[in-house]
Amino acid sequence: MPLVRKPSSQAPAAAPLALGEGTSEQRWSAVRAAADRPDGLALLADALSRESDPRVREAIFTGLARLATPESAALVVPYLRSDDANLRTGAVDALRAMPQACRPHLPTLLADGDADVRLLSCELARGLPDEEANRLLCDLLERETERNVCAAAIEVLAEIGRPEAVPSLVRCGTRFAGDPFMIFSLKVATERIAAPARDRR
Amino acid sequence: MNEVDPVSQEELRAICEFLYRRTGMLFGEAKRYYVQRRISDRMNALGIAPFRTYFAYLRSDADGEVEKFVNAFTVNETYFYREDHQLRCLSSDLLAERVRAKRRGEALRIWSVPCATGEEPYSIAIWLLENWPEVDVQDIEIIGSDIDTQCTAAAAEGEYGARALMRLSPQLVEKYFVPAGKDRWRVVPELRQSVQFSSANITKASETRQHGLFDVIFCRNVLIYFDDASRRVAAENLFEALAPGGFICLGHTESMSRISPLFEVRRFPDAIVYQRPLIGGNGAGGKGGHSNG
Repeated sequence: MPLVRKPSSQAPAAAPLALGEGTSEQRWSAVRAAADRPDGLALLADALSRESDPRVREAIFTGLARLATPESAALVVPYLRSDDANLRTGAVDALRAMPQACRPHLPTLLADGDADVRLLSCELARGLPDEEANRLLCDLLERETERNVCAAAIEVLAEIGRPEAVPSLVRCGTRFAGDPFMIFSLKVATERIAAPARDRR
Repeated sequence: MNEVDPVSQEELRAICEFLYRRTGMLFGEAKRYYVQRRISDRMNALGIAPFRTYFAYLRSDADGEVEKFVNAFTVNETYFYREDHQLRCLSSDLLAERVRAKRRGEALRIWSVPCATGEEPYSIAIWLLENWPEVDVQDIEIIGSDIDTQCTAAAAEGEYGARALMRLSPQLVEKYFVPAGKDRWRVVPELRQSVQFSSANITKASETRQHGLFDVIFCRNVLIYFDDASRRVAAENLFEALAPGGFICLGHTESMSRISPLFEVRRFPDAIVYQRPLIGGNGAGGKGGHSNG
């Protein structure tokens, strides 16, 4: 048998350094350790405001998601309006990973003045309990004028929608009556809501 | 089995939260029956009732109960040569690329985590012996790790029933196993000595770091049990455990792209695998966007 077992000579990783110092490898290690510290939130907040390496930033978002408090979610929320698509995506993924912490922020986010923020927030609503998500998304559909935001809300409702959501979907349809894509999306959503749960997926 | 009174919704929530904090595994109301069965098994094994007495016993970790409880929740059924297209990818593409990246004489390190009762790491060893021409000249280290210590103990024993061997040809069974009773076979000693086993929880960086850097990690069908936050932590721990340029193979229903942007997707003829970039990390928005309409 030629396979050989060898004892590992690998040394454990070095202790993390301060978050703002060193190479990206060292900063990565430092931010990964930060969530376990009592002052982790402040450390991660500071690191997020300064960090430019995408990989380290991803670890900061994970650390904030691990903390999963409304305060850690509040630190991530501003990045939903970043001009950097990677940062926006990172922020959405981090918030999606802490649905309970994200919950208190959603009504405000779904009413944000920035349509892109409202659109991304529709996706976050998917992580709420169905009843709450339905209520928030139906409220949005009743007032929303941006087609893409409505389309995002309809997509989520197609998956988690309850019969109570149908009137809001129908009223939304009247506003986009000349738009074939929206008509199709609304048809799919209402049909799926009407279907027995076992047939939905 | 004696029937134990069903746990209440609040009790279920409490014990699921306990399990989540310890393991990252998330069970909710939909898994009530699964959770109830395992609680009942432990309470019957200990002769403890009612539930609140058992929960107090669990939280005090009397007689290592936390480990036994966690062991009861891990899914251990697997078999040799499962998803063998990834093994083919390993011998056809992955190892050659890793060999080119290594210094002469440096060991190739392969990690099977979680390894359950050892079918996967032994499969890797057998596959390489049968299918990789360089197996005789390379120094290969195969490690199997699992959070369930009863599993790793069983893996080190290397004894299996017919169901676990169903994908192996009679020739392979003859070559790498010896009979161990009715419908039981044991891995031959040389092969058992070629695989090391250890305990590891992939959501704990302190545990994954102890294992050093690997060229290839097989981490199949476990991330599906985690919630989003634990999946992200596990992905970062696995990223750290890979040498730059190293590969990770997930289960066929799993996608690292949906968990973390740190890895690059590599498409080979036999499998799609994920790679730690040679320099730094990806983290540059490898995932699909969120645009609509």
